[in-house]
Amino acid sequence: MATDWNAMSDDDFRAAFRDLVERRLPAELRFMRKQRPLFDEVAVWYHALNEEGWLSPVWSVEYGGMGLNPAKHMIYVEEWGRLGCPRIPDHGLGLIGPLLLAFGTEEQKAYYLPKILSGEHVWCQGYSEPNSGSDLASLRTAAVRDGDHFVVNGQKIWTTLAHCANWIFALVRTSRDEKVRQKGITVLLIDMTTPGVKVRPIANLRGETDFCEVFFDNVRVPVENLVGEVDQGWNVAKSVLGHERIFLGAPTRPEIAMERLDKLARARGAFDDPAFRSRYAKHRLDLYDLGSAFERFAKVLREGGELGADVSLLKIFTTELYQRITEEMLLLAGEDARYFDDIEAGNGEVDAMNLFLDSRAPAIFGGSNEIQKNILAKAVLGLPS
Amino acid sequence: MPQTIFDDPDGTLSMLRDSAATLASRRPGPASLRAKRAGSADIDRDLWTSMAEAGWLGLLLPEDLGGAGLGLAEQAVLSEALGRALIAEPVGAGAVFASTLLRDAPASAERDRLAAGLASGELLVSPAWQDPSRHSHGAALKAMVDGDGFILTGDRHFVDGATSASDFLVVVDAGREALVVSVPAGRSGISVSEKAGVDGSAIGRVAFERCSVGANRVVARGPSIEALVENAVTNARIAIAAELAGIASKAVEMTIAYTKDRVQFGRPIASFQAVQHRLVEMWSDAEFACASVVNAVVKQSEGDDKAAHLAVLAAKARCGDAATSICRRAVHLHGAMGFTDEHDIGLYLKRAIALSATLGQPEAMRLEFVELEHAA
Repeated sequence: MATDWNAMSDDDFRAAFRDLVERRLPAELRFMRKQRPLFDEVAVWYHALNEEGWLSPVWSVEYGGMGLNPAKHMIYVEEWGRLGCPRIPDHGLGLIGPLLLAFGTEEQKAYYLPKILSGEHVWCQGYSEPNSGSDLASLRTAAVRDGDHFVVNGQKIWTTLAHCANWIFALVRTSRDEKVRQKGITVLLIDMTTPGVKVRPIANLRGETDFCEVFFDNVRVPVENLVGEVDQGWNVAKSVLGHERIFLGAPTRPEIAMERLDKLARARGAFDDPAFRSRYAKHRLDLYDLGSAFERFAKVLREGGELGADVSLLKIFTTELYQRITEEMLLLAGEDARYFDDIEAGNGEVDAMNLFLDSRAPAIFGGSNEIQKNILAKAVLGLPS
Repeated sequence: MPQTIFDDPDGTLSMLRDSAATLASRRPGPASLRAKRAGSADIDRDLWTSMAEAGWLGLLLPEDLGGAGLGLAEQAVLSEALGRALIAEPVGAGAVFASTLLRDAPASAERDRLAAGLASGELLVSPAWQDPSRHSHGAALKAMVDGDGFILTGDRHFVDGATSASDFLVVVDAGREALVVSVPAGRSGISVSEKAGVDGSAIGRVAFERCSVGANRVVARGPSIEALVENAVTNARIAIAAELAGIASKAVEMTIAYTKDRVQFGRPIASFQAVQHRLVEMWSDAEFACASVVNAVVKQSEGDDKAAHLAVLAAKARCGDAATSICRRAVHLHGAMGFTDEHDIGLYLKRAIALSATLGQPEAMRLEFVELEHAA
C-alpha cells in the first residue's frame, strides 16, 4: 500500500525524509564538494532512494513516483539541500519522465520509466548546439527518415553528464520553416550505445568535467523512439518546467556562499572594517529579501495556485547575488585569491575560488539572465517588439 | 504589476485600495502637492479632512479610542495606495506615529482627547520627538521638573505638520525618565519655523523656550525616549516602506507607459532591448520592495521580537533603495520630459528621496540589521 505523502503533516514528512537520510545516505556522500557527481559516485544513494520509494517526488504513484503536490515537493527539495544530499543524475527523473508522462505512448512509459527508477537508463539532455544556445530554435542537428529509422547527423554541446549517460533526449531538425523556426523540431530518444555516437567531455573553469560535446555521425534511431509528433517537438521541450521553475530561483546557492563569507570574515576580522561591514550588509539584506520574494511565490504554490512568467525574476536575482557574494570572498581573500585550492579560515578552510568559479554558471544556464529579461519584458511587462 | 499581496479573507484590503483610488481620482495627489508647494503649506487641510472622514488617520487606533481598530496589513495597503497616488501627506511619520504613541499610552482624559481628535481630524496632533541632528543648529530638548508639571527648553526638528498642528506630541528627556507630553500649539514659549522639503512639504522646527506643561498633559512615561517611541517608529517605518513600495510600483508603470508611447527611429523606445532590460530590472526591484513589506507585516504577528525588528529594518532599507533608484531611472527614461517640473515623474523621485530619508536611510537600516542579527 503506497503512502499518501500529501496527507502527511509537513513536520512528519520532514522527519520521514531525515530518517531516510540518516539510515541510507553514507556520510562521505553528504555535503559533497562536487556539484555534479557521476552516476557511479552516488549510485548507492540513488538505489537507496528507489528501494525506499523516495526517488521520484513528482511522478504519479501509478508509475512509481511519490505524486507529491508542489508544497510537499518544495519541502522535499529544501530538506535535500539542508541535509547535504548529493545531486544525483536527475535528467531522467526531472525531465524525461515528466515529458513521457505528458507526451509519451503507453509503450514508451512502460518501457522507459521503470528503467529510469532502476538506474539502468541514465539520461542526458541534448538541447544546445555550438551555434544554438540562447537561440535554441536555430538548432541544426538533422534527422532524416529512412524506412523504419531516422538517420541523425550533427552535434550537441554543453550536454551535462553525457559521459555517464547511456540515453540522450535530443531535439533534432526534421524540416525547415523559414517563417517559424520553432516548427520542424522533433524530439528523439537515442540510445548512446548506437554506432556513430561519440562523447567528448569538456573541462569547466573549476577543472571539473560536468558537461560534454556529443557527436552524431549517421546514427540510426528507430522511429518508435519519437516523442509526440514529427516537427512538433518544440512544444514538448517547452512544457517541461511548470512549478519547478521556482527552484531555479531558490536562495540555496547564495545561502551556501554567505555561510562561507561569514566564516572567512570572522576568521580574518573583517567585521572590524567599516567598509567591509557596509558591503557585507548589502549582500546580507539581498539574501534576506530574496527569502521574502521567494516566499511570495512559494505561498502561491502552497495554496494550489500556478506560477506565472514573473517567477523568473527570482532566477535572475539569486544567480547575480551568488556572484556578488563570491566576488566579495575573493576581495576578502587578499593575496590568497591567487590560490586555486581552498584557503585558510581559522580552524578550517573556505572554498572561495571554487564557489566564485561555480557562480559564473547559473547566470548562463537555464536560459541566460538576458534571455530571462527578454521574456519578462514581453510576457509580464507587455513591451512591444 | 507590483503590489503587496496579503491574505484578504473579508475583502477589507481590496476595499481600502478601492477607496484610496477613488479619493485619488477626486483629488489627484500631484495637483495637491503642487498647490501645497506653491502656498508653502505643510498640510493639505481638505485632503487631510477627507482622509480623517474615511477613517484612515486613526486606522491603527482601537475603536474605543475613536479609531478604526485595524492592523498593520491594512495600514500597509493604505500607505501603498497613497504612495501610488502621490498623496504626499504626513501619514506615516505623523498620524501613524502619533496614533501608536497614543495607543500605547495608559488611559487618561488627555490621551482619549488626542486620540479621538486625531482620528476625526478635529485635532492635528504632530509628533515632535527628534533632537536636532548633529550637523544642524539647535539644542536638545530637556524637561525640568516644575512643581507637578515640567518646563521645556530646547528644540525639536523634523516635525511634520508643525504650522497646522493643534497639539504637539512631544517626547522628551526629563532626567531620570522620559515623557510623552502634549503641548497645545498656541502655548507661550513655542516658536515654529519651517524649511521647504524636497517633496513640496514644509518641515517644521519647533523651539521651546521655558514652555510650561501641566501634569495633566503628561500622556506617558518611560525609561528613555527610545523605549517610548520604539513601537511608533516600527509602525511608521512599515507605513513609510509601504508608501515607498507604492511609489516604486507606480513609477515603473508610468515609465512603461511613457516608453511604449514615445516613438524614436520609427519605433516605440520600449521596443529597444537596452530600455526593456532596464524596465525589467526596475519592475523586479519593485516586486522585491512589495515582498519586503509583506514580510515585515507578517513577522510582527509571529511572536519573535528580534525577527520582527529585523524584518522592519529590511523593508525600510529595501523600499527606500527601490523607490529612489527606480525613480532615478524613471526620470532618465522619460528623457528631457523627466527633467521638467511639469511632468509628475520628478515629483515621485522627490517624494521617494524624502521618505527614504525619513526614520532611517537604507544604509543605516542595513548596518543596524547586521548588528542586531550578530548580537547573540
